[in-house]
Amino acid sequence: MPDKKILMGGNIAIAEGAILAGCHAYFGYPITPQNEILEHMSKRMSEEGRVFVQTESELAAINMVYGAAASGCRAMTSTSSPGFSLQQEGISYMSGSELPGVIVNVMRGGPGLGNIGGAQGDYFQATKGGGHGDYKVITLAPASVQEMMDLTMLAFDLADKYRNPVIVLADGFLGQAMEPVVIRKAVTALPEKKWAVSGTKGRQKNIINSFEMDPAAFPGRVKVLLDKFDRMQKDEVRFEDINLEDASIALIAYGSASRAALTAMNLARSKGIKVGLLRPVTLFPFPYNAIKKLANKIDRFIVAELSAGQLIEDVRIAAGTEMKIDLVARYGGAPMTAEDIIEAIEKAM
Amino acid sequence: MTGLESLKTESTLYSKPESLADRATHYCAGCGHGIVQRLIAEVVDELNIFDRAICVSSIGCTVTSYNYFNFDGLESAHGRAPAVATAIKRCHPNLVPFTIQGDGDLASIGVAEIVHVCARGENLTIIFVNNAIYGMTGGQMAPTTLIDMYSTSTPGGRKPDTSGYPIRMSEMLSTLDGPAYISRVSLHNPANIRRAKKAIKLAFKTQLAGLGLSLVEILSPCPVNWKMDPVKALEFVAGKMTQQYPLGEFKISDAAALLKKDL
Amino acid sequence: MLEEIVISGFGGQGLLVIGRLLADAGMIEDRNVVWLPSYGAEKRGGTCSCHITISNEKIGALYIKRPTAAIVMSPSALTRLEPLVKSDGILVINSSLIADKVGRNDIRTVYVPANELAAEVKDDSVANLVVLGALIAHQPITARASIITAINTLFSKSGTMLEANTKAFLKGYTQE
Repeated sequence: MPDKKILMGGNIAIAEGAILAGCHAYFGYPITPQNEILEHMSKRMSEEGRVFVQTESELAAINMVYGAAASGCRAMTSTSSPGFSLQQEGISYMSGSELPGVIVNVMRGGPGLGNIGGAQGDYFQATKGGGHGDYKVITLAPASVQEMMDLTMLAFDLADKYRNPVIVLADGFLGQAMEPVVIRKAVTALPEKKWAVSGTKGRQKNIINSFEMDPAAFPGRVKVLLDKFDRMQKDEVRFEDINLEDASIALIAYGSASRAALTAMNLARSKGIKVGLLRPVTLFPFPYNAIKKLANKIDRFIVAELSAGQLIEDVRIAAGTEMKIDLVARYGGAPMTAEDIIEAIEKAM
Repeated sequence: MTGLESLKTESTLYSKPESLADRATHYCAGCGHGIVQRLIAEVVDELNIFDRAICVSSIGCTVTSYNYFNFDGLESAHGRAPAVATAIKRCHPNLVPFTIQGDGDLASIGVAEIVHVCARGENLTIIFVNNAIYGMTGGQMAPTTLIDMYSTSTPGGRKPDTSGYPIRMSEMLSTLDGPAYISRVSLHNPANIRRAKKAIKLAFKTQLAGLGLSLVEILSPCPVNWKMDPVKALEFVAGKMTQQYPLGEFKISDAAALLKKDL
Repeated sequence: MLEEIVISGFGGQGLLVIGRLLADAGMIEDRNVVWLPSYGAEKRGGTCSCHITISNEKIGALYIKRPTAAIVMSPSALTRLEPLVKSDGILVINSSLIADKVGRNDIRTVYVPANELAAEVKDDSVANLVVLGALIAHQPITARASIITAINTLFSKSGTMLEANTKAFLKGYTQE
């Protein structure tokens, strides 16, 4: 008997995934196109006897995540691009203070106020450490409503594993779309957090901070973080590869753009063009090695992204300066269609 | 080792609170922050909440407050201590979080957070140290700097036409329905320091009784940045600051007032 | 069979609801489905579209550029979608709100006076179900019974809405 599927919106799947993962506290501020997460959590968190606060700003929201995480609870905020910019300071503090927590960014068109249509323009900000200082954040990119749930759950586990924030980087199309979803089992055993500020009972006091008064001491603390980011790059790379064995052209796309790429790949194959698809699931750590290996056996990459040339920079780093790489860019809230990618494939032939 | 361990006394009249860490502070001579921390530590001891208290530091001279207590503490980003404390209290209603925030943190960059923590009436305690200057960054104008007062960014004294007017936070916040207790005290002499301690204790008792938000604004000297000797700085607090920032209770709920009788 | 349906008109016309019924009906038939709304920032009166994909295979693109079937509920929606419907596709037009005729002859065109028919059942608020009925009658994207089951589930909490929506759907389904 296959698992029962229910039709669910992407934003709702994120909210339910967080609840299944044992998220004890949710903090958020309204911004389109992710308001369904906030609204759904306002109802569900009280049903579960957990914490929900509609905050005065995205700044307050990320700093509440910081506080809840410091006290040992699984915590999350969700926002969209302009709000994500505001949260960069808080994410830097969380990484610097080694605090786990989940930040969901259902991206919209930018820069500025932009547009409420889906986009992927926050790729650099998410994957390169978007705030101040030397830090990185594991960035998970769902490409279906099912993955909105599954990767949100994974985000909580990875956050605790590395004591570092984790970003779920979705786009407005996935947030608004509904697809069939299999509801996962709730996490029951959460890791113990002896480092948390939860009351000095029967132990020495705990301090959570990212500050060293002594300038000589701080580089050593940063080095501890850097070693952790190296371990993430070594152990946590995730990607999906489809039809790459015999491919001469490899499409590279994530999120809703990868869905259009999947359709384009199938159409191209039906016309006898050998196209494959590599879909990064982790954007940091990025699948550099997989793309480097691929570059040795294919003729060309076509990068399809809902931004004006951000993902392609990482593909270029992996593939080298000599490799042929084309870009299909849709930005400012415009959707990616299969036709857009087909056109690029046919042009490349 | 102080070399005085062998001295025996008949009875102890004055000693270091258990909650206060045995280490030197980074504060300048004549600064009021050390007094504030000692008063908090005394109150935490007396209320027997050592294993539940959480010090939420902020940015400015309060930045490493967590180092000077023996109980748990954490840093928060500039202005965001009320948000951090909100989350801790909501997640762990049995804990006793309090923020220590200076005037730049609370009355400038953190205005949204302080207004909304008060509007929500979060059951936690805010200790607001107002010394009318940005201390840690070297003496620039604060939102609470007095008119005509010198700072490194108002070299001719603060003028309203270019730099606006000082903000009375306690009065402003008292217009909100959320807070249960808001008062302003001063550190300029021993009698006022004792009053300050009572206010801090009432603030914590308000939280322990679950009555809602409590806030104590403490007028505090900053002799180094005011370019005064410590005695002159205390006189400035008593003579000038209390004119702009009158002492007293701005808000106290009936239930919180009942807690006064056994302070 | 890959069905790619675009429903377009104004916010407030219930386009997302009939899109949802199509997606639910697809699921009832154990097929893969995607439901994707697209609208402006305002809640009412702005341009609104809904994209529904139903397939026995794994579904790729969320956003449909060239639909196999389309429903239009405003003149501007007709202008936008008429050239995009795939050859041999179907275009259902609410002729109560759109006076223009379709020029293409490589697609099937269905004109439904949906608001007039809806008024016979209840009022304009169920015109959306009328056009859905007309679409299913001319292009059995899902079985009629699956839509009925979906209506019964979606409106199970309101007896009057359930009855009016069912009647409106059948009205559209049986009109010539």
